[in-house]
Amino acid sequence: MPRLLNQEQRRILLRFLWERFKIPEEGLAPYDMFAFSRQAFLFKRQSSPIKWPEGAFVRCGLPFLRNVAGFLKPTTVFIQRFGHFAQKNVMELSEEDVCKLCSDGELILKRLPTSVELPGYVIIKLEGHLIGAGLLLEENRLVCRFPKAMRQAFAKLTLQ
Amino acid sequence: MIPFLDLLEAYREFIPDFPDLVDHLKRPLPVYFRLNTLKIGLQEAKSFLFTEGVEFKETVIPELVKVLHHDHSRPLISYHLGYIYPQALSSCLPVLALDPQPGETVLDLCAAPGGKATFMAQKMLDEGFIVANDRKRGRITSLLSNIKRLGITNTLVTQARGEHISLPYSFDKILVDAPCSGQGRYRVDPVTGAVKHVVRGKTNLPAIQKALIKRAFDMLTPGGTLVYSTCTLNVEENEEVVHFLLDKRRAYLTKFEPPVESSPGITVFKDKRYDRQLESARRFYPHKIDSVGFFVAKIVKPGTEKDTS
Repeated sequence: MPRLLNQEQRRILLRFLWERFKIPEEGLAPYDMFAFSRQAFLFKRQSSPIKWPEGAFVRCGLPFLRNVAGFLKPTTVFIQRFGHFAQKNVMELSEEDVCKLCSDGELILKRLPTSVELPGYVIIKLEGHLIGAGLLLEENRLVCRFPKAMRQAFAKLTLQ
Repeated sequence: MIPFLDLLEAYREFIPDFPDLVDHLKRPLPVYFRLNTLKIGLQEAKSFLFTEGVEFKETVIPELVKVLHHDHSRPLISYHLGYIYPQALSSCLPVLALDPQPGETVLDLCAAPGGKATFMAQKMLDEGFIVANDRKRGRITSLLSNIKRLGITNTLVTQARGEHISLPYSFDKILVDAPCSGQGRYRVDPVTGAVKHVVRGKTNLPAIQKALIKRAFDMLTPGGTLVYSTCTLNVEENEEVVHFLLDKRRAYLTKFEPPVESSPGITVFKDKRYDRQLESARRFYPHKIDSVGFFVAKIVKPGTEKDTS
């Protein structure tokens, strides 16, 4: 069963989103946060506390952060839905770079935008569209963190 | 190979322009994309599709476009960004009939793969509460995947047999898009004349459908609305199931004004007579709407909260 995060646990996740992406707390204020199977979920807050159905429960809400090797990773679906709140560590890539990132799995960037700090996760945009997350490492090495099916799709084509 | 007329001949008496249906079924099913306004505006989504080389035209449902052409060898980025959901026009109709509103509590009893549940979330602006249930684990996977891809946060997914499900909630609105024989999806091979997409099995579908509709009705709040739908033309799986509910429970049908051509439900078929209220149910035939054949009945539970009678 999912566990409703208490105020302190919620604050830790919100602080991560603020410090890494400058996503304001208000953006996620209408949502409860739950932890389930190494992932945190955003669930639209209900007028009364949610009761979990016994024996039938599978999942609730949208996974937004995942614990990867002890670090928090924002999910692709979270970035696509809520990435517009982010004010830093957002990178616009060219079609060619997105294609290369997906086909090779990583990309060496010639230079970084001033609002990007390494190392850590960055939000990747293409022509203004929020795509997903990449992991930016030393020496401007950007590692693709898109889901496999999406990587394959982007590797095959670029937008016309 | 099943001869087409053996399967559908029984419906000739009530399907308007039956020969047109035969011709229509020789053509492939048209493809429609629903645009996910939880992630992107309608105009922006259309522009995006255009840049992807998708030729389309608008439909009577603002969120739905009919695809005229796209290169299937090219993956659609719009799909991976959660901007579109491939969905038949008729599959949107039960949601329009249910008319879910932001803040309501809604159940989709047979939800996988999630086309209708996610459209409901879109109509509700991702506000309120949806329970999306399905009985099969394999189908739950696709349901979860679509909910995630479309960026929905107000939905709880359960896995249970709909006939026996026990939930600690009552619902303002419930959709039972019941498992069915799928006759509305039939296509005819233009060369051999054989029918494609025929569902075979020994399952007693009407028995399951009756159990589902009764269980769903019992979970409605007084004044709540239940929509029963199938993608079959079979009277035993449609009117007879709704008639069963009207016989077993204090329920009544209410009118639904769909945005596409429809025919009234059947009240007399072979030697059987069904409740006259079934004229308020709607039948959608493939050749009339250029999509999958569907049946939709909108049912209200009498009560003080939202009684529209």
